[in-house]
Amino acid sequence: MDWGDSLMQRRRVLLIALALLLVMGVAMRVLLPAIRGGETTWARLQQEGVLRVGLDPSFPPFEYEEEGSLVGYDVDLARELGHRIGLQVQFVSLGFDGLYDGLKAGKYDAIISALPYDPRLTQDVAYSWVTFNAGQRLVVREDEEEIKRVEDLRGKRVAVEWGSAGDVEGRRLDKRIGFERVPYLTPQEELEALRGGEVEAAIVDAVSAYGFMGAEGGVKMVGLPVTDEPYVIAVRLDSPVLLREINFALKAIEEERVLEELKEKWFY
Amino acid sequence: MPRRNLALSLILVALALLLVRSAPVPPVELGTQRVVRTVNPKMGIHTRLTDEVEEWKIKRTLEMVREMGAPWIVEYFPWGYIEPRKSHFRWDHAEAVVNHARRQGLTIIARIDFVPQWARPEGTTFRYLDEAHYVDYGDFIHAFVEHFKGQIRYIIVWNEPNLSFEWGYRPVDPASYTRLLQIAYTRAKEADPRVQVMAAGLAPTLAPPGSEWGMTDLEYLQRMYDAGARDTFDLLAIHAYGWRSPPDEPPAPDAINFRRAELIRQVMIRNGDGDKKAIITEAGWNDHPRWTKAVRPGERIAYTLRAYQMALEWDWCQALVMWAFRLPWPTYTYQDYFTFVAVDFVPKPIYEEVQAYGLGG
Repeated sequence: MDWGDSLMQRRRVLLIALALLLVMGVAMRVLLPAIRGGETTWARLQQEGVLRVGLDPSFPPFEYEEEGSLVGYDVDLARELGHRIGLQVQFVSLGFDGLYDGLKAGKYDAIISALPYDPRLTQDVAYSWVTFNAGQRLVVREDEEEIKRVEDLRGKRVAVEWGSAGDVEGRRLDKRIGFERVPYLTPQEELEALRGGEVEAAIVDAVSAYGFMGAEGGVKMVGLPVTDEPYVIAVRLDSPVLLREINFALKAIEEERVLEELKEKWFY
Repeated sequence: MPRRNLALSLILVALALLLVRSAPVPPVELGTQRVVRTVNPKMGIHTRLTDEVEEWKIKRTLEMVREMGAPWIVEYFPWGYIEPRKSHFRWDHAEAVVNHARRQGLTIIARIDFVPQWARPEGTTFRYLDEAHYVDYGDFIHAFVEHFKGQIRYIIVWNEPNLSFEWGYRPVDPASYTRLLQIAYTRAKEADPRVQVMAAGLAPTLAPPGSEWGMTDLEYLQRMYDAGARDTFDLLAIHAYGWRSPPDEPPAPDAINFRRAELIRQVMIRNGDGDKKAIITEAGWNDHPRWTKAVRPGERIAYTLRAYQMALEWDWCQALVMWAFRLPWPTYTYQDYFTFVAVDFVPKPIYEEVQAYGLGG
């Protein structure tokens, strides 16, 4: 017997065993939550037929109370998702700062509440695809033809909400492009100033922009979003099947332009 | 031979790794002595460096405070961190904060509380201190003041003792707090007669009589005076949050707003303590987009600038310290929207606007 060959063989076997262990470890890590999710959250949802949704009903037009009933963009979206997944929807109201804790504590199965995507929390919860982009938008008067994107702002007077995320972005763009930043106290004042001709453009969050366009008009959004602030749905990490079902339903909803219809219903 | 070379190489790599691992972290230079340039010498801000691990971040925070034009900071020095065992002190972190702050030309107000485990019963919170251990707190105050003699001139004894949470989830007790203040005052003056002992800032609250959660700040302060607090402090700390109200909104006993500080001041005057000054050690507005007590970001800026200006005009107010400059990590709650600078040191517009004001721009 050649002892050198035997040693080599033993090493190979050891390496293969180690590799197998590694693969199994990774597979368990990936698959276990799915298996568990299938056994707990999803199984329970199927049994009860009810999807419990956590929200903070203080943020119109996304979720608020009207004559004792919950209404809004997210309320309609949740019901549409429930319908497509085959579940009744039950809403659980909570303060915004407590929404994640309520989810972790099992008070409900998903948060649908104008919830900004937070990359820092992806080890604690799982997020769906985007349900609304609330980032900053470039807004101009309806008859404006010259300004189509932020690069066209050079030398222009641009409204921002003083101190807001739009102001932060405006200060950053101002250094790169060069324009006169004109601060206002609220998005409403900012957009009224735009419509009245005090400024030539405004950088404002999408929620305020859609709201103003719907309620008052005279302005329009141009170009791509200046920044992205995706609103998403959050579920527990042990609910991968539920997440998959939500995402499938969201994809269909988007393809069928239901999200656009919801925007038109709640902002215009 | 090749195997021997391989073994030798591995040993050398291991040694090199060991050396790298054990190499001391290079110290952060204090830098040259700086002074704060400002048009408002009463401007201050909470720095909250207690849990900041990296020294360069401590230095950068304090540099940015100076660059903003604020000469005052309030910093938290937890007793339990510094004295984890009775009479065993760990001063290194506190020293780093104090050294950097002084090098930036800042005046430090030290808030001192956080009961170590050895000074409280099992199952209690770090806010729980029974009277049997007041002497231990007094010993720590003495050690702290002595250690930083000539470097820290202001200390605050406890925090918001009119809230049950801050009193170890017990019913609040102004007379007992006054006894604690008396011991702290005596021990501090023994260590350094020039140190200025400040009674704790009380939480602005409208708690109804008999509430299990707390007592109104106005009543609590009166009861402190009733218990003989007048001779147990040099200055009063005041907390004056504005919530949704502008800073000019008139004060009223049933309203929480910035000018509630004036009502606290009235209690001092009524008790013959009008010659003493006060420092507003917590105040500010929040611009969280969803929190019910928040204002718009622009309102927050305008209110903050106005409040600094009002403090400048109040002769009884020695400084106004806003909450808070920066947090070492995100809290994921409305607390993140009290800060002037993001976790990664990116200044928010409020920082730039306060800086423009402070520098006379």
